[in-house]
Amino acid sequence: MFKNYLKIALRGFGRHKLFTFINVVGLSIGISAAVVIYLIVHFDFTFDKFHKDGDRIYRVVTNYTYSGDAGFNSGVCGPMGGAVKTQVTGIDVVAPFFTLGQPDVFIPGNTDVPVRFKNQENIVLADGNYFKIFEYKWLAGSVQQALDAPNQVVLTSDQAKKYFPTLSYDQMIGKIVTYDTLKTTVTGIVQTIKENTDFNFHDFISYSTNQANKTIADQLQLTKWGATNSESQLFVKLSPKTTTAHIEKQINDIFSKNYKERAGVSHSYHLQPLSDMHFNENYYNFFDDRIASKTTLYGLLAIASFLLLLGCINFVNLTTAQATQRAKEIGIRKTMGSSRKQLILQFLSETFFITLVAVIISIVLAPLILKLFADFISPGISANLLGQRDLILFLVVLTVVVSLLSGFYPAILLSGYNPIMVLKNQSVSNSSKSRNAYLRKFLTITQFIIAQFFIMATILVSKQIYYVMHKDMGFKKDAILIISAPWKNLTIKKNKLLIDYIRSIPQVSLAGLGGPPPSEDGSNSTESTYRDGKKEVKIELDEKYGDENYINVYHIKLLAGRNLRASDSTSGFLINETYARLINPQHPLEAVGKQIEKFNGDKTMQVIGVVGDFNQMSLHESITPLAILEGNQTYNSARLHVALKPETPGGNEWKTAIAQMGTYWKQIYPDDDFDYKFFDDNIAKFYVSEQHTATLLAWATGLSIFISCLGLLGLAIYTTNQRTKEIGVRKVLGASVAQIVTLLSTEMVSLILIAFVVITPIAWWAMNKWMQSFADRTNISWWIFVLSGAGMIITAVFVSSFQTVKAAIANPVKSLRSE
Amino acid sequence: MLSLQHISKFYQAGGTRNFVINDISLEVEAGEFISIMGPSGSGKSTLLNIIGMLDEPSSGYHYFAGETVHQLKDKQRSALYKKFIGFVFQAYHLIDELTVYENIETPLIYQDFKSAERKAMVADMLDRFQIVGKKDLFPAQLSGGQQQLVGIARALIAGPKLLLADEPTGNLNSKQGEEIMQLFKKLNKEDGVTIIQVTHSEKNAEYGSRIINLLDGRIESSKQL
Repeated sequence: MFKNYLKIALRGFGRHKLFTFINVVGLSIGISAAVVIYLIVHFDFTFDKFHKDGDRIYRVVTNYTYSGDAGFNSGVCGPMGGAVKTQVTGIDVVAPFFTLGQPDVFIPGNTDVPVRFKNQENIVLADGNYFKIFEYKWLAGSVQQALDAPNQVVLTSDQAKKYFPTLSYDQMIGKIVTYDTLKTTVTGIVQTIKENTDFNFHDFISYSTNQANKTIADQLQLTKWGATNSESQLFVKLSPKTTTAHIEKQINDIFSKNYKERAGVSHSYHLQPLSDMHFNENYYNFFDDRIASKTTLYGLLAIASFLLLLGCINFVNLTTAQATQRAKEIGIRKTMGSSRKQLILQFLSETFFITLVAVIISIVLAPLILKLFADFISPGISANLLGQRDLILFLVVLTVVVSLLSGFYPAILLSGYNPIMVLKNQSVSNSSKSRNAYLRKFLTITQFIIAQFFIMATILVSKQIYYVMHKDMGFKKDAILIISAPWKNLTIKKNKLLIDYIRSIPQVSLAGLGGPPPSEDGSNSTESTYRDGKKEVKIELDEKYGDENYINVYHIKLLAGRNLRASDSTSGFLINETYARLINPQHPLEAVGKQIEKFNGDKTMQVIGVVGDFNQMSLHESITPLAILEGNQTYNSARLHVALKPETPGGNEWKTAIAQMGTYWKQIYPDDDFDYKFFDDNIAKFYVSEQHTATLLAWATGLSIFISCLGLLGLAIYTTNQRTKEIGVRKVLGASVAQIVTLLSTEMVSLILIAFVVITPIAWWAMNKWMQSFADRTNISWWIFVLSGAGMIITAVFVSSFQTVKAAIANPVKSLRSE
Repeated sequence: MLSLQHISKFYQAGGTRNFVINDISLEVEAGEFISIMGPSGSGKSTLLNIIGMLDEPSSGYHYFAGETVHQLKDKQRSALYKKFIGFVFQAYHLIDELTVYENIETPLIYQDFKSAERKAMVADMLDRFQIVGKKDLFPAQLSGGQQQLVGIARALIAGPKLLLADEPTGNLNSKQGEEIMQLFKKLNKEDGVTIIQVTHSEKNAEYGSRIINLLDGRIESSKQL
């Protein structure tokens, strides 16, 4: 029987090629989107799910408030690990570890010069307990003694192969690996984790090394209760049946016993579940690993469901529109003795075939789509079916669900035909038409609603991105290079030498030394107080550092007073207009000369000038009070800000200049790679996630319009077929082609208008919500909505005109004769 | 074999009832060949549909093969007609997407015959109607007479006791029509299939053993030949 269904389905597809094509394309798009998004979402949701007893593993994190502001730190203070180990009950394993900052790794080779691996990440100090919480497969050595003594190191298999490409794992034991100056001996090799994980560490140096090495001990700060450091990580595995509250209380008690809080500051310790680590944006993971946003993932899921829904709606629409053509077959089958159940099964299996074809197409397309979006899809995601049991399962479920979703209603409708009606009149009477026409109209409206929402959202997001990228942020951002001196080797003296060299390059118009550029993701601030008689302005003051060229490189306007001088470093600074207004709301420029107290705790500084406001961070944040100081320490003179002269069209002067800078760099920092960025690129990076949103939305929009138009075309074909006789009669009575086309398009346009009315308020609300994340935002203009509605109508009329015009110019004699 | 007693079929239109079938009683014995005649709108087809259980009467009693049809549930009724009744239509009503072979096979599928059995039965039927050479053609590739032949073959495939034919020759030329009628007669005589046909043609009606004339939903006359 199934073979019979398959046969008739295939022949039917052959007969209705266009409808079948539309159905397959519509479903393929929806299913492809679903597959790709499933891969993305599945990838992030399977992070660190494989650890044994993962539900009992927690990270101890520090939450604090600092003069009312909440802060979060993924680490703990140095002594906490040891204290928890000895004083807290209800914990099976306590594993403190410490993430080391990018040491250079040296492997002694055959020659005198050791092989060098620069700035290696994912190197930690850990003890055996780490491997008791997170179980690794040991390829050489064993967890019992590998990290007991100082100066031992355990490597993961991948890293070990990198260091010792020619040796077997057993041969690696006893080899020397040096981290900057710390010399260690390999005592174990563990298998690199193949599953999705944030624990990407590949060198584990024994924690006890701190007992033998003062530099390491200083970094660990094992006696300072007041210093919380995100490099000091503390993981615990609770005993079964212990509550987190019970553990948290004990940890907080330990802290308050050992440390007296300063006024306005408070710390509290919490247990962060392992499953939360990949998603919680409050806490960083080790080496700034990517934190996945659940909001984004859910947004993606919504997009996938919508596209899938559109495909299904298309299917339902077209199938029910075609229903009359199959009525005869249904009538015959019923008189042949088919039960309704058998007919439903037949139609469902037809839907199943179509869906299956669409799924197969999607499997082929998925890798291409992943490549297309490679910019913001993790490279770990693969659409390869092999070895992805979950993916195969998902595809099976998807096929069944989509088949049911798109096939169920048409099957019920079709199988419900009364055989006598069908067979007696040879064509279906119109009695059941109106009801099912309402449903089709409803479904079409739903499609237009989804499509228009995507259009509106795309326009708005693009508008906002254009706005933030082109808004005058208060400084010049193009043709400026930022060169970051290597923090390990830099000195002010070397930087000054380098900048003198750079100034000698003819293409350089101006260069200055300083800290971070005017606008950056991240800021430094300090408390400061201004007192004027009874009035006291106590605020968090942002700090930027630069020399006398800093504000000129960036064209920051000096509104009053004078620029910085080298002698100002301890006595005066520039402030921005926002701060000046706090000091003197009526005459902000008169803030020049005023004294600011308690800057950085104890210093008193004089305002020597007021500069125009500029955005210190992305436009997500508003402008806050700011001071610009003369940098006199290494860390705030670490960057070179270089303004370039405009390039001649088609010229490559900048390239030459940058190459020249690279040469100078090598003279001064021979061991480090030349590290430069264009400032405008940095600014653009503020909005990477918005750019991704825009790209995704543009795709969703394009696809949803495309699917909807396919469905529309199908419906237009159906309507014009249904109305052939009416069109013929009207033409005989003298209607023009234009009038006929208008007649046929009116219904469609009215459906779009209804969709427009429904979606506009919802879209407005959603956009408003999205815009809240920007402190500085563009308007949600009325024309966004008008443009989207009008665009939809024009597209729809255009697409359906292929059919309507054809119907309108057809010779009426033909259509009337056939009746 | 079949008994209709006081069968009526009407549609409520405003306050009045429009009778399509008005109090018809009819007995049909096994082996009869009945022709139902009458002008358009006299209720011929409706009567045939009621007999074939495709349509339900508004009132009256309906007995078939010892079963009380008017008391049966849908499922039982459909099982009953699947087993005993075959249909032939004026417009043939073959499934366009299926070949001759598959069209004939379809009723067997719905009656859960095994594949091998179906093969044998269809081959037999093709042979009997001398259409073996056409078995892989689609309905559109056949003439009207050939299509109706397939229609009849399909109606007979499951071995029905009663064959219902609604103007089986209505779309055919006179020569084709005659062939079909000869076939009916043969089926009736040699295979003992009870046949009830609706027809407009006096000539065709006379192939039967009894002619029933309908007018306005009533039996106007009945003539045993």
